[in-house]
Amino acid sequence: MKTIPPPCPEPEVGPKYWRSLDQLAERPEVREWIEREFPAGASLAPEGETRRNWMKLMSASFMFAGLGGAAAGCRRPVEHLTPFSKQPEGYIHGTPQYFATAMPNRASAVALVVKSSEGRPTKIEGNPLHPDSNGGTDAFAQASILNLYDPDRAQRHSKGGNDVKPEVVRDGLAELNKKFSANGGEGLIVLAERSSSPSRARLQTALAEKLPKSKWFVYEPVEFGVSGTAYSQAFGAEVATHLHLDKAQRILSLDCDFIGGELDAHRHIAGYTKGRKPGDTMNRLYVVESLMTLTGGQADHRLRVRPTDVIRIAALVASKLGITGELGVALAALSVGAEAHAPWAEECAKDLLSKKGEAVVVAGYAQPLAVHLIAAAMNQALESVSKVVTLIKSPEPSGSGGIVDCVAALNAGADTLVILGGNPAYNAPVDVDFPAAAKKAKDIVRLGYYEDETSALATWNIAAAHYLESWGDARTCDGTVVPVQPLIEPLFGGFTDIELLARLVGEAKLTPVEIVRETWKDLNEAAWKKFLHDGFIADSAGKHLELTFNAATVVSKLGAAAPAADFDVVLYRCAKMDDGRFNNNGWLQELPDPVTKITWDNALLMSPKTAKDLGVSGLSGGKSKTADNAHAHDGQYRQFVIQVTVGGRRVQAPVWVQPGMADNTVALALGYGRTKTGRVGSEVGANAYALLSAKNASGSMHITTGGKLDRIPEKHLLAVTQEHGLMEGRPIVREANLDQFKTKADFAQNMDLEAHLPHYVPKKTKPDGRNAERYQNIYEHPYDANPSTVSQIHQWGMVIDLSTCVGCNACVIACQSENNIPIVGRDQVARGREMQWMRIDRYYSTSMESPLSDELASADPQMVTQPMFCQHCEAAPCESVCPVNATVHDEEGINVMAYNRCIGTRYCANNCPYKVRRFNFFDYNKRESDYGKAQNQHIVNTANFYKGFLGVNRDKEPEWEIIKLVKNPDVSVRMRGVMEKCTFCIQRIEQAKISRKVAVGNSGDVAVPDGTIKTACQEVCPAGAITFGNMLDADSTVSKLKRDPRNYSVLGFLDVRPRVTYLARIRNPNPAIVKLEGRKLEDGPDTLRDYERHRHESPFKEHGQPTGNHEKKHAAAESTVGKGAA
Amino acid sequence: MSDIFPKWTNQLPLMAGVAAVVLGTSVTAGIWYYLTPKYSRVGYQPKQPVAFSHAIHSDQLGLDCRYCHNAVDKSWFSNIPAASTCMNCHSAVAKDSPKLELVRQSYNTGKPIPWVQIHKTPDYVYFNHSVHVSRGISCVHCHGQINKMDEVSHAQPLSMSFCLDCHRNPADKIRPNEFVTQLDWQGQVDGKKLVTDWKVQPGQSCSTCHR
Repeated sequence: MKTIPPPCPEPEVGPKYWRSLDQLAERPEVREWIEREFPAGASLAPEGETRRNWMKLMSASFMFAGLGGAAAGCRRPVEHLTPFSKQPEGYIHGTPQYFATAMPNRASAVALVVKSSEGRPTKIEGNPLHPDSNGGTDAFAQASILNLYDPDRAQRHSKGGNDVKPEVVRDGLAELNKKFSANGGEGLIVLAERSSSPSRARLQTALAEKLPKSKWFVYEPVEFGVSGTAYSQAFGAEVATHLHLDKAQRILSLDCDFIGGELDAHRHIAGYTKGRKPGDTMNRLYVVESLMTLTGGQADHRLRVRPTDVIRIAALVASKLGITGELGVALAALSVGAEAHAPWAEECAKDLLSKKGEAVVVAGYAQPLAVHLIAAAMNQALESVSKVVTLIKSPEPSGSGGIVDCVAALNAGADTLVILGGNPAYNAPVDVDFPAAAKKAKDIVRLGYYEDETSALATWNIAAAHYLESWGDARTCDGTVVPVQPLIEPLFGGFTDIELLARLVGEAKLTPVEIVRETWKDLNEAAWKKFLHDGFIADSAGKHLELTFNAATVVSKLGAAAPAADFDVVLYRCAKMDDGRFNNNGWLQELPDPVTKITWDNALLMSPKTAKDLGVSGLSGGKSKTADNAHAHDGQYRQFVIQVTVGGRRVQAPVWVQPGMADNTVALALGYGRTKTGRVGSEVGANAYALLSAKNASGSMHITTGGKLDRIPEKHLLAVTQEHGLMEGRPIVREANLDQFKTKADFAQNMDLEAHLPHYVPKKTKPDGRNAERYQNIYEHPYDANPSTVSQIHQWGMVIDLSTCVGCNACVIACQSENNIPIVGRDQVARGREMQWMRIDRYYSTSMESPLSDELASADPQMVTQPMFCQHCEAAPCESVCPVNATVHDEEGINVMAYNRCIGTRYCANNCPYKVRRFNFFDYNKRESDYGKAQNQHIVNTANFYKGFLGVNRDKEPEWEIIKLVKNPDVSVRMRGVMEKCTFCIQRIEQAKISRKVAVGNSGDVAVPDGTIKTACQEVCPAGAITFGNMLDADSTVSKLKRDPRNYSVLGFLDVRPRVTYLARIRNPNPAIVKLEGRKLEDGPDTLRDYERHRHESPFKEHGQPTGNHEKKHAAAESTVGKGAA
Repeated sequence: MSDIFPKWTNQLPLMAGVAAVVLGTSVTAGIWYYLTPKYSRVGYQPKQPVAFSHAIHSDQLGLDCRYCHNAVDKSWFSNIPAASTCMNCHSAVAKDSPKLELVRQSYNTGKPIPWVQIHKTPDYVYFNHSVHVSRGISCVHCHGQINKMDEVSHAQPLSMSFCLDCHRNPADKIRPNEFVTQLDWQGQVDGKKLVTDWKVQPGQSCSTCHR
């Protein structure tokens, strides 16, 4: 009998939930793009090479290959095994070791456990034993391992431009100590980054004691300490704040992207998502913001305002919290101008007050101190200080000046400037002119990880050690002390800041480990060993300090809101480059921004309306493609370039139209546009620091008012992945409001064609006449075909909870690190050839009443993120089209790739409904790409891999050997011409199975216990949104989640039986505010509303009830199927 | 018109055809035979820097394999012993033997002994020793009677079909764990019962060995 494909009726109307504005506008290019497997040009020979030339090259290469084979002979070359001469204790070749350490990050740290393979660190994980960690980390920590093996990092120490040996550096520092000991430190200025290290704090205090005339300044271009400063002022003592979002039922974010842009976002994500389980204790998130951020995407209610208006909204909400007295008066005065949002604020305040002690207000680093003070006052009024926000002892010695004071001191005359880390020549505010002031110092001693802009100023350049090469200590955000211990000797003999300081101070203990041991001399040897083993000191977390709130101080510091201006310019911390410190990291450069999905660039973000006003939206021509708005062509974005001018400072950047942005606001990410950096980071993006000012009217360095925007006659090509792998026209993400969810928990299984399947397609019949579980499917189920091969011990499956996935991108980098995924460079990404096995699909949805203009439709979208990777279909479409059986099913339900069998037909990628397969168009692992080389208008092929065998194969170069050290030895490095994709971390599964079998020996208890195997993406996820396990074990977490009513398969109607399923997202809106927004509570989230309106019946009704047309359609479909089957 | 070509040329197509068949067959047969590990690897017996005899140590003296290869049941890799392992005995036994000069040198200087690798699977094969020796598969199945070799030679092809033969039919090879390192063991065991009792289900799909 012929198998009949399930009929797939086309959607009646186009999608109203969308990934890009072009898709929203239904531009023909996007249509074409969707229908393609790879972008146009992806499969073509490089331009400029004719077919004839290719034939010549290829025949030559065959000839050489033949000669090479003959000369080398048929025997394998002789290889030697060189064992140790003395066996080190506890070391077994081939089994990785794990060490607890921490990644210091400003005044905080991330507690880590790092995997060491044969003596080299290869993978970073969070430390799940740490009291304030669930084992999750962030993309920065994951990617930081690549910095360790960066061939562009500073590899030498130099004095006056001449290389010097480390001993010379040590002597030089001793000399400095001698010199300043004589005059008490007169003329010595230290400019440092923030640090939570108790050792550094000890040495800083020692410096102040021994060289009392020396001066210490701290500069961070992105200053997260502003919240601590606000609470210190409001409560009259030096404190740092620690957030416990897991204890919050109501959260109001004032421009605070605690999921993305804030420090320790992974900890906030862990806390926030804990309260995100659908039910009566589900939290509710209000976000007031100007940019579209991940936090805004999570918001149950999002208020889109200009950055300078956030203070007014804050004051407005605060004034409705029952704050009386002079503070109440001051707040009311500040809120002037925000009256339009009074009903919103009213309802929000009411809701916050209903959860006193469990409601919290958080403010973002980009907002001025006044907003943080208001947030502190609100938390005081909500009685959440000590509960949701605790005040702990600040990890740093207080009283250090900032960059402005430093420049003043330098201008007043200085002898020696010591710069510990940071890159002030690049990232100091332009109007304080740090480079000019620094040049007044006679000597500049600079400890830096790269030879960068600041190195050019310095007389002494000292290479810094990576934290994985260093001894040190730090405190995590809760105050717990964590060790920084090295996994490898410094590759290039780098120094740490504490070693440098100890020598400057003239300490007795000078080696890095002794310095740290000296700080913790109270720990006995056993406790010290435990400290290093566990990776923290138990009970060392900061205790909450009971302090009195001082309203009068708050009032005196509030100041006034910035006056309205034409444009507000926001300079924000990049989700990939941080403040520029990860600029030379290829993984992060190629990581799509979580919201914009731009890679290898930053862009000037603006709202659709602002873009239209400026004539740069690219959408003005509607659905036609004209020369001027050739916006997205083949997925390549040729963007208008705009010059931003603020107070004489200017920068040029390409435009990116960002749905959900506040109007008359533009934003540019920090960390790009470097003049001196490594190969990866050079020529990438625009330097937002060129606009940074210390004297903004807004009171914050990050928000400048009164910008002027001019379009310049240039275009810039952005490599954007937002339309890569589009799957449109289906309810791919499924969501509902909490109230709806309570009425019918399994609504997600009653959507799309799954709801129809019983009507459309008959179930297969078993030999005994009963209906089988499966429907008729064009793809043969491998286990039906071959039941004897199916494992009865393990069947792997995965569930992803869309309610808790916030789209932070950590999993994408974790996967890249675990699975040896190469970077391909901007040019290749623009062609749709990025290699990351995971992508986070970001969808916008709009409450569109009737066809509105695109600008209005995209003004206030809701946002959903969805991790997408190989779904491991049981009846996999990719498998049936492979001519060489390179992709097949294994016994345990994994769709595996045999790289050696793959001949690169790419049929599998073509037939994959989820578009999750990646093809090695080139030898990305052996040849260098163009990285982020900026190209205007057209993509060009200058990359080495286009030259084939004539290009430089860097595989044997020493520099390339360093890069290779980051590779996971348990995973094959793939070559040109093979397909690859997610393997469910098969190496971890096999390792766990082997360990289990070795442990049980001659017993049949070989099933791996639940929770033993964690895939790389699961292990890194701070939200715990990913669950993996054995579906044959009914008690495993994954089995329980598969039985959850929210569980659904993406494109489930295809009945390919994906092993990866998703839990529908539940939102928890406030009924009163839904009304204000013009939405209806019973309509549900925008995606659901759209689904119901345009395509289908409500998933909350039982399906298949007679409703006229609908019923007829079913009848028609069934009769067709019946005929076909006969 | 006279003949341009002599008469015998009429036979040319036939001769060419026969030649092609003969050539084709011999090339195929040649590749079939000579380019497989069965020919190219089996019997490989390079000279080692130290004349270590497994026959003396294992067969005559009765040392267990795991005295030296102690990580074989812990790691994918069966370790080559460090010089310090040799010196455990040889600091007392045959301590001045000239054959052991390189071992003493390595022990004293830290310079490793460059043993020549004999058994090697390709880089894309993730073979794991520990799981085999912990589940009743003896060293002898892949390495042959090492305990009888003075100089180690490559005994089995270690090709993919060699692996699969056993993975498809483990009952023939499996033995109780206590006999795994007894290469001479000739005992009888109900392999099928062990396979069922221990739930031995050796993978036969790509992911078992290739990642």
